[in-house]
Amino acid sequence: MMRRFPIVYGTLVAASAVGLAAALSQIFLVAPEERVMGAVQKIFYIHVPLAALTFVAVFVLLVGALGYLATRKAVWDHLAVASCEVGWLFCTLVLVTGPIWARPAWGVWWTWEAKITTTLVLWLLLAGIVIARGYASTQEQAARVGAVLGVVAALDVPIVYKAVDWWRGQHPIVFGPGRGDPLAPGMGRALGISFLAVTILFAALVVLRMRLAVLEESLAAAEDAAWSRS
Amino acid sequence: MSFARAVLAIAAKDLRIEGRTFRTAASTGLFALVVLVVFAFAFDLDTVKRLGAPRVVPGVLWVTLSFASIVGLTRSFELERQRDALTALAMAPVDRGAVFAGKGLASLILILGLQVVLVPLTLVFFDATGAVALPALVVVLVLHTIGLAELGTLFGAVASRLARGEALLAVLLLPAATPILLSAVQCTKGALSGEPLAANARWLLVTAGFDVLYFLVALLVFETALEEG
Repeated sequence: MMRRFPIVYGTLVAASAVGLAAALSQIFLVAPEERVMGAVQKIFYIHVPLAALTFVAVFVLLVGALGYLATRKAVWDHLAVASCEVGWLFCTLVLVTGPIWARPAWGVWWTWEAKITTTLVLWLLLAGIVIARGYASTQEQAARVGAVLGVVAALDVPIVYKAVDWWRGQHPIVFGPGRGDPLAPGMGRALGISFLAVTILFAALVVLRMRLAVLEESLAAAEDAAWSRS
Repeated sequence: MSFARAVLAIAAKDLRIEGRTFRTAASTGLFALVVLVVFAFAFDLDTVKRLGAPRVVPGVLWVTLSFASIVGLTRSFELERQRDALTALAMAPVDRGAVFAGKGLASLILILGLQVVLVPLTLVFFDATGAVALPALVVVLVLHTIGLAELGTLFGAVASRLARGEALLAVLLLPAATPILLSAVQCTKGALSGEPLAANARWLLVTAGFDVLYFLVALLVFETALEEG
């Protein structure tokens, strides 16, 4: 397993580098400038894929956590911790890119709208998991804490969304039934390529983080062995 | 031992300890009172009067309640840490779900007991006694406290197994309880303005669903949360 890692992540890292370069050139050189919002609309091409992948990460976290609870195999925990931390990173980027766009578009940096608030709560939930794992004294304990909190957090996200939606509602809905294709042709291609690039980047980071988890585990095992010899 | 008897035995144990020491009641009650007084200083009371108490008091009440609950829930697992009683509890020949339900039930009863004193006091302090629909308020309080106690018990177990992890409970509990807190504030606002329960039916349904969902989740994962090492 370890031996195949370099090929897998090497390919993914190379592919995400090419993909991101292609996406950036599409976004800034090819895609037409939006009529009303101008250059600031270009954040949309990065913001939307990041947001989508953040929620994919939560789903992968749920799968990893359930897999660990059911089988107690370390690989499921590696998947859970990787998607949790990469998801947290993407979530941070969503929360940074959003306000940069919102200020010129809506006139405010922040608003307590459903998607934004849910993303913020999700950020807090993921941060809680990362911090709680850090308190654990063994890898197994970290895995158990991560699995229990991961299941609760992942199930919480849709409920939080619905609750905040009832509480408040003002995100731009770009895609939806009966709206036709809202994007100019060049925009659709830029978004598609960006989506693909960010997805590959996500996969690359998750695989790298899983490899790190494997290395951490073998380091801990080697330390244990050294202690018991001395 | 049947599931229900195990639940009652564990809850009775916690309540008996509390009945002999009153330490949780004293510390959470006093803490809640302090938070309430701080709120009175933090808000301009004329503004509160102009807005109408039902728009301000639910928030004050639920922030106070959730903070005080965290103090109480931390205490609940502190008890089990002394002489590693938690390991003994985890070794008891009963379903781990029963341990969860028992600890949760005791915490629920203690928080509801706190509310018996705290809620009237809050309404009096902020002059919100005018149009209260009392039966509706009781239903709202019980339904939302169940969810808070469930999540708090599960996270309390997780935090108590981590060295120096007590401080984590607030960080874990409050974001996860977002739906409960939003719903609690909306429904309490309704009850304080004398609306019938049906006015907030969808919030109450979602909260009831939340309570059931996390009860089941906790039954399944509590064993993992209790494990040592």
